[in-house]
Amino acid sequence: MMARLDTLPARQVAAGIAAGDFTAVEVARASLDAIAARDGQVQAFLQVSEELALAAATRIDAARAAGEPLPPLAGVPVAFKDNMNLLGTRTTCASRMLESYESAYTATCVQRMLDAGVIPLGKLNMDEFAFGSTTDSSAFHPTNNPWDTRRVPGGSSGGSAAAVAAGEVTVALGSDTGGSIRQPASLCGVVGMKPTYGVVSRYGVVAFGSSLDQVGPFGRRVEDVALAMSALVAGGRDRLDSTSQDCEQDYLAHLDDPIEGRAVGIIPALLEAEGLAPEVRAAMQEAIGKLAASGARIVEVDLPNMANSIAAYYALAPCEAFSNLARFDGVRYGYQEPGCTALSEQLSLSRAHGFGVEAKRRQMLGAYLLSSGVYDKYYLAAQKVRTLITADYQRAFAQVDAILMPSSPTVAWEHGSISDPAALYLSDIYTISSNIAGNCGISVPVCLGAQSGLPIGAQLQGRAFADATLLTFARALERACEMEGAVAPACAGKGGEL
Amino acid sequence: MRRLAEVLRDWEAVIGLEVHTELTTLETKMFCGCRLSHDDEPNANVCPVCLGMPGALPVPNERAIESIVMAGIATNCEIMRRSMFYRKHYFYPDMAKNFQTTQGPVAFCMHGRLDLEVSGIGAQERPDGTTERTADGSYVTPIRILRIHMEEDAAKMVHVGGGEGRIGGASESLVDYNRCGAPLIELVTEPDLRTPEEARLFMERLRQTFLTLGISDCSLEHGSMRCDGNVSLRRRGETELGTKTEMKNINSLKSLHDALEYEICRQAEVLEGGGRVYQETRHWEPSRRRTVAMRMKETADDYRMYPDPDLAPFDLSDEFVERCRARVPELPDAKRDRYVGSFGLRRADAAQIAGDPAVAALFEGAVAASRGGVAPTVANVVVNLLPGHVLSAAQVSGLSNLLADDAITFAQARELLEIVEGTDADPERVVDERGMRQSTDVGALETIVDEVLGRCADQVRQYRDGNRKVVGFLVGQCMKASKGTGNPKLFNQLLSQKLGE
Repeated sequence: MMARLDTLPARQVAAGIAAGDFTAVEVARASLDAIAARDGQVQAFLQVSEELALAAATRIDAARAAGEPLPPLAGVPVAFKDNMNLLGTRTTCASRMLESYESAYTATCVQRMLDAGVIPLGKLNMDEFAFGSTTDSSAFHPTNNPWDTRRVPGGSSGGSAAAVAAGEVTVALGSDTGGSIRQPASLCGVVGMKPTYGVVSRYGVVAFGSSLDQVGPFGRRVEDVALAMSALVAGGRDRLDSTSQDCEQDYLAHLDDPIEGRAVGIIPALLEAEGLAPEVRAAMQEAIGKLAASGARIVEVDLPNMANSIAAYYALAPCEAFSNLARFDGVRYGYQEPGCTALSEQLSLSRAHGFGVEAKRRQMLGAYLLSSGVYDKYYLAAQKVRTLITADYQRAFAQVDAILMPSSPTVAWEHGSISDPAALYLSDIYTISSNIAGNCGISVPVCLGAQSGLPIGAQLQGRAFADATLLTFARALERACEMEGAVAPACAGKGGEL
Repeated sequence: MRRLAEVLRDWEAVIGLEVHTELTTLETKMFCGCRLSHDDEPNANVCPVCLGMPGALPVPNERAIESIVMAGIATNCEIMRRSMFYRKHYFYPDMAKNFQTTQGPVAFCMHGRLDLEVSGIGAQERPDGTTERTADGSYVTPIRILRIHMEEDAAKMVHVGGGEGRIGGASESLVDYNRCGAPLIELVTEPDLRTPEEARLFMERLRQTFLTLGISDCSLEHGSMRCDGNVSLRRRGETELGTKTEMKNINSLKSLHDALEYEICRQAEVLEGGGRVYQETRHWEPSRRRTVAMRMKETADDYRMYPDPDLAPFDLSDEFVERCRARVPELPDAKRDRYVGSFGLRRADAAQIAGDPAVAALFEGAVAASRGGVAPTVANVVVNLLPGHVLSAAQVSGLSNLLADDAITFAQARELLEIVEGTDADPERVVDERGMRQSTDVGALETIVDEVLGRCADQVRQYRDGNRKVVGFLVGQCMKASKGTGNPKLFNQLLSQKLGE
């Protein structure tokens, strides 16, 4: 049977291998082939782990030959954001600081994907240490949006979104601290989910904002994302991450449940906000109409403190970043300035030359915000805002099961067209509040923009630990919008035959 | 410099202690599963967490939390049901993450208290009239404990190529991360201590308490218990606090006393000479018996403390606290009182035995194996004979029975101890085998006494002239004549009788 890997849902990849339609090694080679054909343009990968991929595929084929039961994601090509440790690869966080850092162990989220049978294709580009929303701050190279390579894929998990949108891999993992999964998913026309804080272990994922970071999957279908989610929670609570919870479940079980009569919230003020591109606003109206046509009740809700979320975030996240990145000093690993004769000189020059501009800006900001006399004014105030935003969500989710809003105020923009960091920070307006409150969110492609022809995602947010319900609504929206499985047209068909 | 006693008549010393105790009896580190050990090769017990590798996360050691709660209960602290860990930032290679995980304003244990009983010569350091005393000059003073918090230890740094292992002039600095992340509890007292002796006693009490709890080996020498002393002076009657200095490198109870004594006298000299005491950290040099300035502390360091987002706040349940309370064994004070009350020991002996759980266990084992009423003799053996030796409880009991029966002298007991030490020999059997048992046959002893009195006419005359002390010499002569088998007490009685006739 002839098939194109980039058209296959994850479930069919695994089923095809189980049925003997193709082997896992053939799948691995098809994925490597697609990367070879497409990534020159897209530049999603920082490392392609061909040996690891073929070794994993060979194991799957041997297991099948031996008549052993195959794991749920057997043979599914997956790649990982480069802030996730995987033995046998470097974990660079797209930074000079960790350019040659070899993973000392494997992150729990990566291990759980491997345990589910995936083929690891490599490590994906990102904004340096996940600081950004363009992937342009990678110390090595930018990543290009597969729909239009002059444009950014979004960020910070831009490599993850682009690799999936380009059809190079079926699923990718990213991390989301203020929207870093949902925004690039929207800009690249794929599904990207930020689970509830605590659902997926953070152990082995290089921390940015420990109280905000959450790992989640990208896929071209909600179903693929649900399958990956099931793999990420398999085994329950991770005892290596004391903030993780036991959320083991099958996220496919209720995926196709009807949403008739169930309530979806909208926030009218958000849809009228200044800075929201008209084609994105139109796409949201269309998505709301389609959900209503699917039987959902549309209910107006309010998150009155959401306007303060960006200010709160830029007080909290840099503090945690300053603290989390303090360990990168070139003493035990990472970039060490040569020729220093004093410890203080070595520490400061290694950090001055190992980190890029944005990484330094965030750490300087955090160091200032945590200093005595300043701490109460910003950090403590931001924690209070956090409490208020969390309470807002609780009130809203007493009325509705999901809230619909944009993932990004605009479609993908051209590289270098926004240079003011504050303007970039403001583009996170729709995503940040769910990191602050710790609940779940997902971006689902709903259409191509009427003006730009570029993909637009709608974001659904759900209540904490109701990730399965969120996926049910995401699947309903996907069904209604008929964007399922789309590969960026410029990439589709290039390499990757099975 | 003036002497301490003189200085303290004019000045009041205000002393506070910060005591770090590594929980050496735990199996693993504070936030990872690495083995806790001081004996292994450098950097043998490390993992991604304690090395601060990218992506690693801390998981708290629940047994360490139990230990600190027990420490809090034993020092009469309030156990805070909700507290959390903070990050304290500083850049130095001894802390792999460049921040130390410690606690913030609320610690697991707050507002405790220990009552110190100060007696003997040490009690004289406090000038008369500054505290209420009993007839023998001893006094009791309450020492408040501000808090006990949980934190992780730093790595050990070894500076090579410079002088005395100091960083200045060193060509290389080596880091051993075996200790990095070891569970540490820090106890901070209120500034309630007034003399070096009180500080020494407090530290001793704390050491005894933690040893009894079994939470640490409490070695000052090897650094599993470390103490910094803060001291300032003020004129007697003054209520404002003076400028304090902080004493480091205290590695014995004696050092703590001597460093504070030196520092109090030094500060007094500076102040009396019209000078100013600078807030600084000073290093105690035991060999030269002085403190030297290490670094000035004019401004407070900014550690940028904030709650550690990787560690959820702790909510201790009643059940958890009660479980810890049930694990607190009989503490030294209660044990001392029981020994005095049930066994009739002297208070000082009782306190000494009760202070060391291993000694107390041996004592109680020996008492249980001995006849009734022998306990004070067992205590005598344990306090005066045993230090430096290792005997089983049965052997201690055997020795004590022999002594209580006057079957051997104290000198013979010492000899016997060396014979049976390291074997499982029964002292009573050894005494019989070697014919060491003292004679209590009065008739035989009388013959010896008469012979001695006959040839020591000079001493007999001296005795009759009122020099009663010569009896000791005569007892010695009797012992010699009996080849050590006579009972000296009986000889003494017989001699006194006959000389009195």
